[in-house]
Amino acid sequence: MPTPDLQHVLADLKRYPAALNGAFEASLPQIEHAAGAVEQVRWAQEGLRIARQTARSWEPAAEYFRASPRVLQALSYPQFQRWVDSGIELCADSPTMAAAYFRASPGVLPHLLPRNVAGWAALGRGLSRGTWKSASLAARFFDASVDLAAHLSFREMQGFVALVDALSYRSYDLAADCLHLGQRILPTVAEREEIISLASAAVDGSWREVRGCFEGASKVNATVNRPLRARFYRLTEQLTRRGLSNISLFLSESTQSMARIPQDAQDGVVAKAEDLVNFSHEAVTSFLTMAPSVLQRISGAQFQQWYDQGRELLTENQDGGVAYFRVESSRSERVLDQLSSTIELEKVKGLLTAYANALAGSEVQLEAATEAAHKNVGWVEIEQAATDGSHVYLPPVVERRPTKEENFSWLKVVATHQVGHIEFGSFEFDFERPAALFEDLRGRLEEEAPAQAATSIARFFNLFPNRTLAADVFGVVEDARMDFGVVAQYRGLAPHYRGVQREALSARPMIHELPLQQAMVELLIRLSLQQLRELPIPKDYGKEARQLAGLLRRVQDTSATVEDAAEAAIRMYTVISRLPNEVIPPEEWNEEDLQDAQYQEQDADQVVSLFKQEGVPGKESDGEEYESPEDVDYRGNFKPEMVQLLSMMRGLSQDEEGENDLDALTQEALEELLRNSVDIDAENEADISAIANNLMKETAASTPPKGDGAGHTDIPHQDEDGGALDPIEPRSYVYDEWDFRADDYRPRWCVVQEKQVSAGDARFFQDTLRANSGLMEQIRRQFESVRPEMYRRVKHLPEGEDVDFDAALEAVVDIRSRRTPNERIYWRRNKAERDVAVVFLLDMSASTAEAVEEARREGADWDVPSDPVAYTLWLRTRRGEGAKRQYKRIIDVEKESMVLLMTALDAIGDRYGVYGFSGFGRENVEFYVIKEPEEQMSDKVKRRLDKVSPLHATRMGPAIRHATTKLEQIDAKTKFLFVLSDGRPQDRGYSREGVEKEYAVQDTRMALLEARQKDITPFCLTVDRQGHDYMRTMAGDMGYEVLPDVMDLPRRLPALYRRLTV
Amino acid sequence: MTQTDQAHKTTSIEEYFVEHEPFYLPVSDEVALFEAAYRERVPVLLKGPTGSGKTRFVEYMAWRMSREMSQMQGRRNGGVPLVTVACHEDLTASDLVGRYLLEVEGTRWIDGPLTRAVKFGGICYLDEIVEARKDTTVLIHPLADHRRLLHIEKLGEVVEAHPNFLMVISYNPGYQTALKDLKHSTRQRFIAIEFDFPPRELEGPIIEHESGVDLDTAKQLALLGEKVRNLRGHSLQEGVSTRLLIYAGKLMSKGIAPRRACEVAVVWGLTDDAEVQRSVSEVVTSIFP
Repeated sequence: MPTPDLQHVLADLKRYPAALNGAFEASLPQIEHAAGAVEQVRWAQEGLRIARQTARSWEPAAEYFRASPRVLQALSYPQFQRWVDSGIELCADSPTMAAAYFRASPGVLPHLLPRNVAGWAALGRGLSRGTWKSASLAARFFDASVDLAAHLSFREMQGFVALVDALSYRSYDLAADCLHLGQRILPTVAEREEIISLASAAVDGSWREVRGCFEGASKVNATVNRPLRARFYRLTEQLTRRGLSNISLFLSESTQSMARIPQDAQDGVVAKAEDLVNFSHEAVTSFLTMAPSVLQRISGAQFQQWYDQGRELLTENQDGGVAYFRVESSRSERVLDQLSSTIELEKVKGLLTAYANALAGSEVQLEAATEAAHKNVGWVEIEQAATDGSHVYLPPVVERRPTKEENFSWLKVVATHQVGHIEFGSFEFDFERPAALFEDLRGRLEEEAPAQAATSIARFFNLFPNRTLAADVFGVVEDARMDFGVVAQYRGLAPHYRGVQREALSARPMIHELPLQQAMVELLIRLSLQQLRELPIPKDYGKEARQLAGLLRRVQDTSATVEDAAEAAIRMYTVISRLPNEVIPPEEWNEEDLQDAQYQEQDADQVVSLFKQEGVPGKESDGEEYESPEDVDYRGNFKPEMVQLLSMMRGLSQDEEGENDLDALTQEALEELLRNSVDIDAENEADISAIANNLMKETAASTPPKGDGAGHTDIPHQDEDGGALDPIEPRSYVYDEWDFRADDYRPRWCVVQEKQVSAGDARFFQDTLRANSGLMEQIRRQFESVRPEMYRRVKHLPEGEDVDFDAALEAVVDIRSRRTPNERIYWRRNKAERDVAVVFLLDMSASTAEAVEEARREGADWDVPSDPVAYTLWLRTRRGEGAKRQYKRIIDVEKESMVLLMTALDAIGDRYGVYGFSGFGRENVEFYVIKEPEEQMSDKVKRRLDKVSPLHATRMGPAIRHATTKLEQIDAKTKFLFVLSDGRPQDRGYSREGVEKEYAVQDTRMALLEARQKDITPFCLTVDRQGHDYMRTMAGDMGYEVLPDVMDLPRRLPALYRRLTV
Repeated sequence: MTQTDQAHKTTSIEEYFVEHEPFYLPVSDEVALFEAAYRERVPVLLKGPTGSGKTRFVEYMAWRMSREMSQMQGRRNGGVPLVTVACHEDLTASDLVGRYLLEVEGTRWIDGPLTRAVKFGGICYLDEIVEARKDTTVLIHPLADHRRLLHIEKLGEVVEAHPNFLMVISYNPGYQTALKDLKHSTRQRFIAIEFDFPPRELEGPIIEHESGVDLDTAKQLALLGEKVRNLRGHSLQEGVSTRLLIYAGKLMSKGIAPRRACEVAVVWGLTDDAEVQRSVSEVVTSIFP
């Protein structure tokens, strides 16, 4: 039964809404239970006091009643009293705020020291500034306090509220947002103080960034080592104070970087960044952005050196230092390059390609080994060196040794080995060709009617019941033969070569752990790597081992051929295949020296009979199944069968007549070949057909007669009817066309329509010049050096600089002999007229829209970050200052080259015209005028050049004829016609049944000949890698060049022009 | 007349005979071809890259022909003099034919090398003919066909060539430009003997003989030559000449380290392109320890 005092309070409460009473009654039993009568009354009276404050005070009062039982558990009565007093003060400002205060209290108070309770209330009250919005913010603060108090110290909370408060002056929404973010994020991080402090710094400067500070936290958590995070935030804060404006960007970029920095290197990076803070925030951002890619290139110690140099630069020159850390200065590149011990194939590709070409004596292209796997034509191991006879695949990155020189020399050895296969004829194996050092057994071993083999080497492997063993043995023998040849011939390289062999030796498996057959193959490998002493040999098989060693020694001879290797392999196979493939117990092994082992050639019949006897399949069931040895790393993948197959297929598709009965090599047939090949180790049928498919493509792509280079789509042959045409439109002209089958011209066959190119943007011209300023400078210098050559002493002049001695003498003689002297006795240094006119014809066919394979050029297939931001950074690193758009078409390169050349031409004053051509069909050969020879270089011309773009087909003949007409009208001593194309000529009806390709080539050739008859020197430049084939016919005796790499065009074109005309 | 003193030996043009047999290893049938051509007095054009032995070949043939002629005519000095003119851009017709010289007393006509060869009956060898000015071709044409005449415009004379006279010209198709090509009217007055660098097996002994290095080193130099020439048309405009290989050999025989000798004689001489230089250097370091 309530006391009278309580009754009194109850009566008063009845005047308030039922919700308040409900709350009171709900809490009453708990209070009765916990407190004495006096306290109960005091408790009720306080509630009433709250409710009386303002009209809506009953709400906080209700919250008070609800919260108080639990609050009482946390606070003593005097503290409770102060708690209520704080509430009442809040209530005076805003009942909503007070309600939130009471509501949050049970959750908050357990985490607060009692002395901080009032302070907590004051924090909220401080946010309220008498407006509805501010009160609502304060209420939100109290709501959020439950989460905050549980994790933040009071001091941190104070800091956070100060931040929210500061934000609230700018925008209540943002403040509320921040409150929300803080509530969500702060509990999840340990570095609360730092984040709050950072965010506070952001408020001072750029207050919108506050949000980024909180949001960045999750990224920092994900990427930065825990002990470093606080430092990381402090670093960011310092940067902010020094003017860093975009914190979220900084956080997102730098955490991206941190993610790519190995854990153990992060500390150093952050320390360096802290050190750089004193200079400028740009230095820090640049440094952090580039640190990961730099660290990929160099070691930690080297990183310190790279950093020290940059820091020193920074003290001298702020901008220079920043550029250094952005790796956009050549100094930085240079330092990196010197420090880095890693060799990237991409960087030495040009150098090694020339080296390989020199050694091989044939065209060899170098590619990253990843390319081979990428093409999937039978070579699968990524990062393994290999060759397919025309390409040499090398590891893209070499970082196996401590210095750059050593890494390079390793790569050089690998390259030399691969090229050696070409140079020393590993792929030239001919089943029928006799060996030089051995009696030939191949023919005798072949069965009466052998199954037809596609290649000589396949035919050879077919002799053996165990093709795998045979191929392995042959591989080792051939490698040994070739390595011997290389070392004998290249004595400078020999020490390095031996070094690499020794290194490879140390990585070989233990011989005596292998089953016998494999142990013998391993023995051969070691012998081939020049381990001749202390070789583990099974006691019972010493004779066999010595035989093998003797055989191997025999092919290590400069006069040994690949056929000798094959013959030796037959004999070795006979020895090895007879052995049981079982593991020999360790105690049954001896160590022997084999450097003097000799092979005594047995009676040939004996070998043959042994071979046939052991050739019964199933005999190898003795012991384990034979497995191939591990690859020797520097030797990589030797696949003679595949190489012969590839070169056969290339040969086939070049053989247009198709007399070869293997001509119709279908996909099915190819798959069958592959399935039988020892070189292919495919898991399933799908792989086989994929490889077959790729092989078909690969070989077709490199054979111009069947596949058209550079992405041309064939225009189907279509005979053209009809007769001569007439030029109807203004500015149209008719030309004859040469039909080489008829051996006569088709009169008035093509209509050339001259068109003006519409004006584009002149900025293209300027941008190109700017982007290539370095190259342009070079070209300009080259062209300027032409000038002095143009000054020549001109003699026999009536007046001049000085008397020409010879002429004067003649004159004197004439006078003495009483003849009329010639009065032209002076000479003068005169500008000998350089009288050159040139017309450029640009191929504007559709195929020029094809993208230049820049990505491949960059050798970029490995370690490209998939994340767009990281990718951009990566790209910037790789390209340095030349970073530009990522996608370029052939025509863009053509245009850029023209920009450079035109600028250079203006410098030496040659007259030149620039035209583009395309069209479709003979009635419609389009001839675009970009610049007429008599036209001055102008903005208009620049604009037109911008608009040059890929159109339709390429009917070269009439275009050349029209350009010839143009040149004829110019009066110049020397005239040139430059045709710049990306592929063979083709157009609708530009062919005849049966001689599709030939017709267009012949007509073009005739057009070029016509030009030459008119004293014009034609020159064709094509960027079609396969261009040699038809260019030889088309322009062989006139002059042409095939540029294997489009990107060389801007450099090559001016150089070529200069060479031809000087 | 031949004057000899300690320092040098001076010989007048028409008396310059190749007295000692020059070292020449035939690559193919060029010796027989030249002999046949000389007997029929058919002018000869030697085509080939620089340093491939054209000049040496002419010297050798002059010596052979000299020997043959003196044996035939039974005279001691009845040989065939060799008159060599290296052509250059400013070489004019009068440089070849002759000119008036100013003397105290007046002027004196002096025959040019071509005139002397024509009169005396020697082999006139115009080296790198495309370099000469165009007016020289006017002189060459009548000498190089059935007429065998030399017009001396300034004297108003025509000289009929001595029966032993033969015109030999050379040119290097490698670095021709469109402006410097041999005209067909000139070209078609000569039989052409093509020269290329000798194969490795022959070049080794040549280098050995000329440079004084041992045969083993010479063979290595020949190997270098073969490998570097593989780059012709790719990175290099011209392959390395036998002459340069011999120079490298000479440096080696005087104690210069092989790699260094090749660097100065071969690598730097061939190209100014730094990357190509490095490629060639790598070939050098592969071959020479």
